[in-house]
Formats: sequence, structure tokens, C-alpha cells
Amino acid sequence: MQHTDILIIDDEIKFADMLAKRIELRGRSNAVCYDGRSALEWVKSHAHGITLILLDLRLPDLYGTEVLVGIKEINPAIPVIILTGHGTEKDRLECERLGAYRFIHKPPKIDELMSIFEQIREKSEC
Amino acid sequence: MLKLFQDFLKSLWPEFYRHRTNVHLNSFYTFTNYRYLWFISISVLAATALAPICIATLIYYQLIETSVDSDLNHRTKQLTVVAKSAVTYFMEERLNALTFTVNENEYKQLTDNTRLAEILKNLKLGFGGVTDLSVLDADGNQVAYAGPFNLEGKNYKNQSWFEQSLKQMNYISEVFTGYRDVPHIIITVRSAKPDGSSFILRATLDTERLMQTLSSYKTGDYADIFLVNHEGTLQTPSIHYGAIFTPTNLIFSAGSDESEVIEIFLNGKSIISGHSSISRDLTSTPFTLMVLKEKAGMLKFWQDMSFKFNWIMGASVIVILIVITFASTFMVNKLYRADKAKAETMMQMEQSQQLASIGQLAAGVAHEINNPLAVINQTAGYMKDLFSFEDQARNDDEIVEYIDSILDAVDRCGTITRQLLGFVRQFDVKIKKVNLHKLISQVLSFHKKEAEYRRINVTVSIPDSFPELETDSSKFQQVLVNLINNAFQAVEEGNCLDIIAGQLSPDTVELVIHDTGCGIPEENLKKIHEPFYSTKKNGSGTGLGLSITYGLVKKLGGRISVQSTEGVGTSFTIHLPVKINEGRKA
Repeated sequence: MQHTDILIIDDEIKFADMLAKRIELRGRSNAVCYDGRSALEWVKSHAHGITLILLDLRLPDLYGTEVLVGIKEINPAIPVIILTGHGTEKDRLECERLGAYRFIHKPPKIDELMSIFEQIREKSEC
Repeated sequence: MLKLFQDFLKSLWPEFYRHRTNVHLNSFYTFTNYRYLWFISISVLAATALAPICIATLIYYQLIETSVDSDLNHRTKQLTVVAKSAVTYFMEERLNALTFTVNENEYKQLTDNTRLAEILKNLKLGFGGVTDLSVLDADGNQVAYAGPFNLEGKNYKNQSWFEQSLKQMNYISEVFTGYRDVPHIIITVRSAKPDGSSFILRATLDTERLMQTLSSYKTGDYADIFLVNHEGTLQTPSIHYGAIFTPTNLIFSAGSDESEVIEIFLNGKSIISGHSSISRDLTSTPFTLMVLKEKAGMLKFWQDMSFKFNWIMGASVIVILIVITFASTFMVNKLYRADKAKAETMMQMEQSQQLASIGQLAAGVAHEINNPLAVINQTAGYMKDLFSFEDQARNDDEIVEYIDSILDAVDRCGTITRQLLGFVRQFDVKIKKVNLHKLISQVLSFHKKEAEYRRINVTVSIPDSFPELETDSSKFQQVLVNLINNAFQAVEEGNCLDIIAGQLSPDTVELVIHDTGCGIPEENLKKIHEPFYSTKKNGSGTGLGLSITYGLVKKLGGRISVQSTEGVGTSFTIHLPVKINEGRKA
């Protein structure tokens, strides 16, 4: 199975696509899901081939936290970064409790994301 | 002592008289006119307290006046009765003596001058007041005479008293001067000679004796006792009317035996007058006894008493008014203070409510803006990437610069939206012990160069006893940074910035950040805590600094207030709990 470096789950299609393209430009493979259910399906089918997931909290079908729980059920080892434009402190605490790796407000800085990715990759390679 | 007096005046003079209207607070006051309230309170209390006193006093005065009047009348009447009986007795005694003399002696004996002189001598010894005695026959000829005047042989036939004497058994005349030219009274007793014809024994009474008798009843300087005849002519001298024989307007119907008392006005004086005609069983006399008493003199005791009474009343009224004023001032002041506190709380509540709703709105706006911002950000980022990663445009610095400026702008927008979100967001509270001195030094260290350069005099005064605060250090730091930044922006070169801390109570501390800068105009004071309100030029401020500070201080369990005078300076006062409330940690 092909390895995917970063999975982007976000209903804001233009944002997700642009981010995907930029990640691709930086030589990292990626995939994009626009809703919660398809994302969970995708994760299920690639359970051990994902390095990092970027997850929006507001999705058209499920809550981001539900998706987070689903991912953690499939593979708790995959780091999930919550990327949101709406997150409150309460959301942040909830996400941290559910095992989110980071909580980042939109708009994210591509370099920051990439450096986090590199850290995770290095760690997993050790 | 002076201070005590000033305090006393202060407690009488209400606080709200120094009240300055504040347009922002006015709508929250329950009462608008405290002076009116105060005035009404004093008036109503004074009226309630003083009206019964005044009515009681009036009733008291009236009762006293009535009783004094009746007392005066009673006393005058008594004096009249007593004096009347004295005068009556005076007359009767002498008349009886004369009657006795006529009955005891034969006509022959009476016409004997030697015998008559002897009788006169006895009468003078026994009764006094008898000047002479004479015997007259029915034709008015004086048959015998004993006395100091040479009146022998006189004929009295045509004199009115002689006519009266013949008609009546006995007769008492008015006072008149007659032949002797001395005021006197004549008493006559008619009797019969052995041959059956009438003769008259006449005695002359000297008025001195009568006057003495009368004056012995005068009590005090204000009494006047005298006799008048039926025509109102004075029969004895009077203090009020003058010498004997002066006519007066005092005319009374003869025969009224009862003593009567009336009030008259004489020469502008109020006088109680008693009168009674002098009469006896067998014959009437022409005299009416008059007793005049000046009311003013008799009232003197009462007037002295009422003067004292008035003094006491006046003093009581003054004391009551002072107490009422004091009580009213106290109550209205209390009301005013409570109302003021209420108005201030209401204003703060309204302000915080406004802030909360504005904050919520702002958060919503921030949420909605964040997504398109993210799209712009990524798109611009992708364009930049294209130029950076693709060879053909790698060296086109100009385009990269444009894209960088788009990215910068998006970053700035992102900062604003994050700040906005921070405004309503519950931050994680990290409670730590905070040393205020250290924290302030830390914050000031950022401004050290600026202060030196602009010659701003920064003083920090924290007492040694100032406690370590148990609070959220990062929030507290942010509050200090915001306020000190603000102060630095407000001051001009050479101004002062004072940071003063103090402990208000075991649980509360106060921190005042005072600058002598430009100050805040009154119309702006209310708005400074509102988000997006900024007076900085060219949009250099976001207008969020103070509203965030306001929210932070609230989260720290404290409150912040601002006092500012335009051109003089501004003070931000923060009250904070020494230990943050457990409930606020969540």
C-alpha cells in the first residue's frame, strides 16, 4: 500500500486543495477528504500508511471531535493536528483530552506545519 | 474643637449638594432631585413635629388667658365686696350712733350746746371722723351747734339735703363743700320734739377718714379705689380720674346692690373695673364704690412666666429643627449613597453586558473571517510557492514581494481575529504565586530605553508588606503590559508615570497606574473599554487593548476603573483578590 505523509480533512475545498498542493510542492505525499465519513473510510483503508492528519473541527456531516475519536479507534498512533478557525478554549481542552497532537488556529503557516511534520517523521523513524 | 464643629456642619450639610451630574450615570438614579427630597423631608418632619407643639401652645395660652382673666375678675370682685362692706360699715356705724344719740337724749338736752359738745366729744372718741354736730328745727334754723366752725344761726331751709332729711328718717348726703368750704358728708336723723314737730340731728363726717378707710384696701400700685355719685362725679380722689368732684363717665343705675365686674379701656390701658352701690337697709346712699385694677400690672407674673415659657419653646423648636435636619441629612445621604452605588453598579453591568454582546458578535465575525483568510493565505502561499519552487519565476523578486505583502496582511488579520477570539475565550488559568515587584520590573524593562530617551519619570511604590498574589500570572502580566503600554503612549516628554500598590483588606489589593499625560475626555471615558474603540491615528491601534484588559481583570476576579481629567492625567485603578477565587479557575 502506498504511504501517505499527510491527510487533510477539511470541508473548505479551496483551502484544502491549496494546502495539499503546497505540501506536494514540498515533496510530501498527501490526500484530501472533504467530510468526516469519507475521511474515516479513508483512514480505515490506510490505517498504517499515514504519518500525520490535519483535521478541521467543523465538518458538514460529523463533528471534528467525533472524527478524532474514530481515527483514534482505528489507529491511536496517528498524530492528529486540529486545524480550526472556530476553536474555543473548551474545544482545545476537549481535543487534547481525546488525544489531539496539536491545536492550531487558521490560517496556519505552512512552514510551521512542515516543521511539525518533520519532527513527527524523525520521531517515528527512530 | 474646630474640626468637631466642621464635622457637625458637614453632617448637617448634605453630601448630594456637592453632587456633580454625570451624564452616564444620571439615567440610573432612582431619584433625580435630592435637594428637593431633602427639603420635603425636612418640611414634612418639621411640620409633623412642630404643629402639635404650636397648637398645644396656642391652647395653653388661651386657657391661661381665660383663667387669668377669670382670676382677675374674681379678685377684683372680692376686693369690691370687701371695700364696699367697709364703706357701708363706716356709714352705718356713724348713722347708728347718731340714731342712738337722738333716742337717748331729750330734745332739750340736745339743744343744750354744752351737752351737744359732750356728745360730739364722745362720738369722736368712739368712732372718729365726726367733725361737728348740730340740731335743726323743721324750718331749717340751726338750734344748737357743736364743732370747730362758727355756723350758729345759719338757716339751711333751701338746701337740698335739708329737704331730703325732712322726708326720710335718716339721710346720707353726697360729698359737698357747703358753707365751710371743705369737702364733707352730712348724716342726718329726723326725730320729733315733745310738741310733735320734727327736728333733725345732723353730723358732719370728714372725708379724710373715709379716704383712709378706702386706701387701706389698695393692694399694689395698680389698684384704684374711689367713690362716685349717681352722676358719675368723683366723691374721693382717684388715681385715674383725678381730684375730687371731677366728673367721670362712670354712671351706674342706683340701687344695684350686687357687685359687678367689667373690663374697660382707659387711656389705652385695659382695666378691670368692679363697682357696687353703697346702700343700707333703711336708706340708700348716693355713693357707688369703684375698684379699678390695671390688667397689665396684674398680669405681670403671668407675663414673666410666659416670657420664660417662650424661651423654652424657642429653644426646643431650634433643637427639634436641628435634630430633624440632622436626621433628614443622614437619611437622604444614605439614600443618595445607596442610589449612587446602585447607579454605578448598573452602569458597570450595562457596560459589561454591552462588552459581552459585542464580544460575542466579534467572535462570530472572527470565525467567519478566519476561513476565507485561510483560503487567501493558502492561495497566496501557493502562488509564492510556485514562484519559489518553479524555476521560470524563481528570480522574480518583485512578484514574491507582492505576495509576501498579501501574506503579511493576512497574518495581521489573523492576529486581530485571534485577539478577538481571545476576548471571549476562556483561557487556561495557571495559578501561580506572583511577586508584583518582580513582575512590574519585568514589564518596565521593555520600556527602560524609551523612558530614558523620552525622560519619563517612572516611580514604583509597593509597600514591603505587600502580599504575594496567588493569581493567573500570564493574564496579570498581560494586564500590566497593556496598561503600562497605554500609559507610555499617553505621556509626553518629561511627564510622570506612577505605579502605586497597596493592600485594602486582607483579601484585596489595589494597583493604581497613574500618568500625568494627556488624559481622556469625558465623552470618551465610557467607550474606552469597548472593543474596536481607538483614538490612535491612522489605525495604528486595534482598539482591543483596553477591552481585553477589562475582560482579563474580570477573569482575575477583580475590577478595573478609570479616572481621568483631560490635560491633567489618567489613573487606572485595579482591585484584585489576593487569592483568585477557586470558581474562576475553570
